[in-house]
Amino acid sequence: MPNTVSWSDRLRVEWVVWSLDQRLYDLPRHTRIAHRREVRANLLAAAAEVGAGEALKRLGSARELAAQYLDAEFGEGPRHSWLAAALFAFTTPLVLNFFLSEAANAYEQAITAPGAHADGSYSWGGVTWLQSPLTFELHQGQATHVGGAYTPLTYVLLVVGAIACGRLWRALPRRRTPRQAHPVAG
Amino acid sequence: MTSSHDPQLLKGILSLLLLHLLAEQESYGYEVVQRLQGAGFADVLEGTVYPALARLEREGRLASRLVASSSGPARKYYRLTDAGHEALAAGAAGWARHVAGVEAVLSRPLSAAPQKGS
Repeated sequence: MPNTVSWSDRLRVEWVVWSLDQRLYDLPRHTRIAHRREVRANLLAAAAEVGAGEALKRLGSARELAAQYLDAEFGEGPRHSWLAAALFAFTTPLVLNFFLSEAANAYEQAITAPGAHADGSYSWGGVTWLQSPLTFELHQGQATHVGGAYTPLTYVLLVVGAIACGRLWRALPRRRTPRQAHPVAG
Repeated sequence: MTSSHDPQLLKGILSLLLLHLLAEQESYGYEVVQRLQGAGFADVLEGTVYPALARLEREGRLASRLVASSSGPARKYYRLTDAGHEALAAGAAGWARHVAGVEAVLSRPLSAAPQKGS
């Protein structure tokens, strides 16, 4: 018996579609959008037929569905993740900047501690291997500093970390086992 | 045929079933599920069928087109390609051999069951 698909039903469908979409970011963009649209159209058709609750129940979890779509695209087994690599590449500099900034602040507090009206120039080597030396200028007890940029090694570590986090070597065509069509039975 | 099916067995033959259904008639995802359920596979879930269709399309066995729907978003209709027809023929032949082999074993007479305590 046909059911009326209410706005709340549509919201529930959209929530599931969005949850699925968030887990498909490793797929090519056009494929991800095509899956999203197809699942939405099918869910709305099913909701009109059996009700939104039953339609969503029969679809299963978005996580499991996304895993099956990824298996369909890349084959079963371990694979690369652009999402994990991007997460590492964006969050690690934020964390690193925080700690390097805290280290520079600690040094600055140390050189301004002795007197409120100290003047002079101080040089600090920075966190070994990770950043260039910092120069602190003190004038009337107020400190400013320059330097402390990432070293080339830091950039290398960021790139290597992103590759390792995302297992990106699995995305290399030459390293991947050619995907063969499955036999359809037996 | 409304009893539940072995999920592992079903997984192995789902592609064959989908190819056959789509060879009969071009359909969109939910319609394929309905037809499967109508054929007695009531425990086949949508979440299993949609990725299977995507896999078959990626393997070049299915082609698809979007058809506007009056009751919602455009629906993606699937149909068999030439490779799909070949896969269906090969799969059906493989399944027939499989069934014949299993039946040949199962039709063998069993010796009398051992008696308890003998």
